[in-house]
Order: sequence, then structure tokens, then C-alpha cells
Amino acid sequence: MSVPTSTVELAGVGKRYGRTRALVDVDLAFDRGVTGLLGPNGAGKTTLLRIVATSIAADSGEVRLLGRDPHRSHADVTTVRRELGYLPQELGYPSDMTAFGFVEYVAVLKEWNDRERRSQEVRRVLEAVGLADQAPVRIRRLSGGQRRRVGLAQALLGDPKLVVLDEPTAGLDPAQRADLRRTLSALGHRSTVLLSIHQTEDVAALCERVVVLAGGTVRFDGAVTDLVATAVGRVWLADEPGDDALVSWRTGTGRHHVVGGRPPAGADPAEPTLEDAYLLMLGPDAQRVHTPS
Amino acid sequence: MTTRTGEWHADPALLSRYLAGDLDAVTGASVEQHVSRCETCRATVGRLLEPQLLERTWAGIRDGVERPTPPYPMRVARRLGLPEPTAVLLASAASLRGAWLVGAFLSLSFATLAAYASGGTALAPFLLAAPLAPVLGVAAAYGPRQDSLEALIVTAPYGRTRLILLRTLAVLVSVLPVTALLGLAVPGPAWLAAAWLGPALALVPVLLALAGFVGPRFAATVVSLVWSGVVLGATWAPLAPTWPVEAAQQGVYVGLAVAACAVIALRAGTDRQPGVAL
Repeated sequence: MSVPTSTVELAGVGKRYGRTRALVDVDLAFDRGVTGLLGPNGAGKTTLLRIVATSIAADSGEVRLLGRDPHRSHADVTTVRRELGYLPQELGYPSDMTAFGFVEYVAVLKEWNDRERRSQEVRRVLEAVGLADQAPVRIRRLSGGQRRRVGLAQALLGDPKLVVLDEPTAGLDPAQRADLRRTLSALGHRSTVLLSIHQTEDVAALCERVVVLAGGTVRFDGAVTDLVATAVGRVWLADEPGDDALVSWRTGTGRHHVVGGRPPAGADPAEPTLEDAYLLMLGPDAQRVHTPS
Repeated sequence: MTTRTGEWHADPALLSRYLAGDLDAVTGASVEQHVSRCETCRATVGRLLEPQLLERTWAGIRDGVERPTPPYPMRVARRLGLPEPTAVLLASAASLRGAWLVGAFLSLSFATLAAYASGGTALAPFLLAAPLAPVLGVAAAYGPRQDSLEALIVTAPYGRTRLILLRTLAVLVSVLPVTALLGLAVPGPAWLAAAWLGPALALVPVLLALAGFVGPRFAATVVSLVWSGVVLGATWAPLAPTWPVEAAQQGVYVGLAVAACAVIALRAGTDRQPGVAL
């Protein structure tokens, strides 16, 4: 029996670091489109992305990438890596390399052996992230956001089928985020794009699907609108903070935004945001690390 | 031929010959003068110019501006037949930069000088430096921050193990000939000139095998200390100055090299994640 396979298939995947369980029995499948991973620090987002990027091996469970088991053989993992673009969470840049030199170096590691075609491809990806003018500039002279975009550029080399981006929006200003959104939505038409993000508003803007992770397990998996819908009727605007609210804060208008709990007296139902839904989804887990300003 | 603009336009065949430089001097000059004043003909010239040629020329210019100039040793290696993509990979390896080469050359030269001046009794500096120069070069080839590109290198199809072996090879190729030449100047039995090769070639795989467990820095420190201990211990004992590289000891080095290679192969075979043995 042949079942059509997804680009990324994880079944019962687990990973532990010493006594810490980073991922527990995770079942997920990803196909074309942009999926955002959301969760507090230590939720297992980076571990999950590193497994999908073939950077580390899962301890248990089944991992299938582009229909192959990356742990089976060197040939299998290399085939997967040829179709992979990966932006690690922490990417050290050799500071004396230029933007062009760095992306070209990665291009050679990705087997772009023809010099002329490689140059064209390096220019294409630098242009895609808006750094065409900065190509000959040394990386140490670039700003943090520009460095992040150099990292993003190398992940786009060769239009990979599987794109894994760990916090691509870190250090980007609003205009650069808008550019990234355009790049990613174009990419999502052709490729499976998986990214982790801290800001909920970025998820709403960038992703069609969202997976909420906490404590190494999947808490939610579905459309962004569906996650928002879980909070309908649980968010209010009131004149006083709710007594048993999950979280509430004073807004610019002077009224209180109340999430969860019983509605305070005189409360008006409010349109929930993705952040409200996220906070309600995680309950007290989220509050420890994610306090709205 | 009239050249009054507005009434007459050069036909494409004439312009093609002009562009190809096939016209005689007088006709060429008059066509040029006409084209410089006639917009229509300039447009035709633009269409006739091979767009790909323009693009290629432009790409060449951009390459000249944007592509970093490879370091000098790389340009020499390229001329000697090193493939271009390999040169790009090696250019980023810290140890192939001039500073390391100069340092290795200087320390080896001083060591040789000491051995030469003492008539072969002060052999320790040379025996110390000759095998350690490639070891330190290989360790340095991991880069100043060993993890800076790690995640990308690990997940690239080229392969991390292959990259490390390539860098190791480059270090050996750049340092061994110099050491061999200097070795000829060391006084003593003829076999001495090549004897240092044993420990040199054994310590490199030991370093690589160790680096897989504890990282290149720590591995290089351990290997350097152990080798210094062997050489200085032999001097202090006191044994013959050539003791560390005599036949019996060479057997030990071969054994070490084989063991180190076995460890690397074993890790490569058993690790669940392919390609992380080094």
C-alpha cells in the first residue's frame, strides 16, 4: 500500500539532553506552505528544527524527510541535504568574510561547482534579501539585521524544497519584516517552509499554519485563524482588571485588556488576537516567559 | 552615401559590420559619426549588440568588484591545478593564511638552526617543532571560533568530515615540503632527515580522533603536551637525542595512527547521525 508522503514526517519523535526531555513523542507532518513554530523558551522549537535540518538525530521515533530516512545511510542524508536550506538559530559569521564571500562559501558546500552559475545564484539570493548593494562589504561592517539577512540568503540557495529557519525575524526592523514576508510567501508556494518565531504578530503575518509547542509536546496544530478562534468569548475590555484573569493589562485607552477568567463587571467582549489565543492555550506555562508589555 | 540625419539610416548589415570592426577606417569613422548623432541608428546598434555578451561582460565586472580576492597561497595553488571550488573552501581556513605559514616556517627554521649549530646534540627543538607544526595547523584550520559555521557545515551536502580532511590535507601539503627541506640541514644520520615524518603523520590522525570527542582546541593542547613530554623527557632522561624517532618508537607511532584511524572509522560507522565522526 503506498500512502502519499509529506515532505516532513515525524512520528513519535523524542529527544533528550541529559535528563531534560526536549521533545516528547511528537507527531507532525509538513507540506508546501509556511508553518510557524510558537512556544516559550525551552519548548523544543530549536530541537525540532535541528532534527528536521539533519543537524542532530532524534533519540527515538521515525523521521522522514522528502520521503527518506536521514539516519539510514550517508547517501540518504546527503540527498535530503541537497534539497535543504537551513538558517540556524546561532550562526557565527567569519567576520573578515564579505557578504558575497560568505554566501559563496556556503554555495560551494552545497555543491555549486560551476563558478559562473554560482556567482549568479549568490547574487540572486543576496538580491532576494535586499542585500545586493552590500555584497562586497565585510560582514563585521554589517548591522545585526543585515547579518541575519546574509544568513537567510544562504538558506535560499538553489530554491530548496525544504527550508528551515530558526528565528529569521530576530533583529529585523518592521520594513525588513515586510520584505521577509514577501520572500517567504513566494517561497511557500514552492517549498515546505518551517520557522520558529518569538513574536506572535510575526506568525500571524508570515504563516498559514501554526504549531504551538510547550514542554516538548505539541499543544496546537492548525490554521492561524483556528488558533485565534479558540479565544473567542474569553477576551474582554473592562474598566477594571479581572480577578481571576490569566493575564490583564491596561491599554492605551485606559481600559483593561482581560484574557481568560470570568468577565469583570461591565466588560465588553473583545476581538481576540493570536497572542491572546496563545496565552490561553498555554495557560500559566506561557506567563512565566511571555509577559505582554 | 549621405549622412544627413533624419533622412538616412544605416542598414543593420552595415551596422553589424561596424560593430564587428570589419569596416575600413574611413567608412567606420563616418558610420560612427552618424550613429553618434542619430538616435534611430543608436537604437539599432543597441539591438544588434549581443545582449548575452553585455550581460557576461557586466557579470565579469561585478565579479571583479564583489568576489573577494583569494589569499596569495591560494592563487599559487590555483595555478598548480587546484580546482576552483576547492580553493573557495580552503581560502576560508584560517591556517592557510599567511600568518600561520610564516610562524611555522620561522619556528622550524630556528629549530633547524639550533640543531645545526650544536652539531646535532640539540635535536629537541627540531623534533618538537616538526611534528607539531602540522598538528597546530590542522587544529587552527577549524577556524578561530570552532563552532561559528558548524551547523551549516554539518547540514551541507559537501560533508563536514570531507571538509576537515580537505583542510588537513592542505595543511600537510603546505608544511611538509618545507619541513622536509629543513630536515636535510639537520646534522646526524641520513635517516634522521625523514624520521620526524613518523610522529608528524601519527599525531595528525590522533588529533582528529580526539577532536571528535573534545573539540580541536583541547585535542591540540593534549597532543602538544604529550609530544613535548616525550621529546623533553628523552632529553632529560638522558637518552640519545634521536631516541624519540628511532625504529622502535616509530612502531609505536604507526600503531597510534592505526588506532586513531580505527576510532574515526568506528565513530563514522556507528553514529546514528551520519557525518559527525570528526
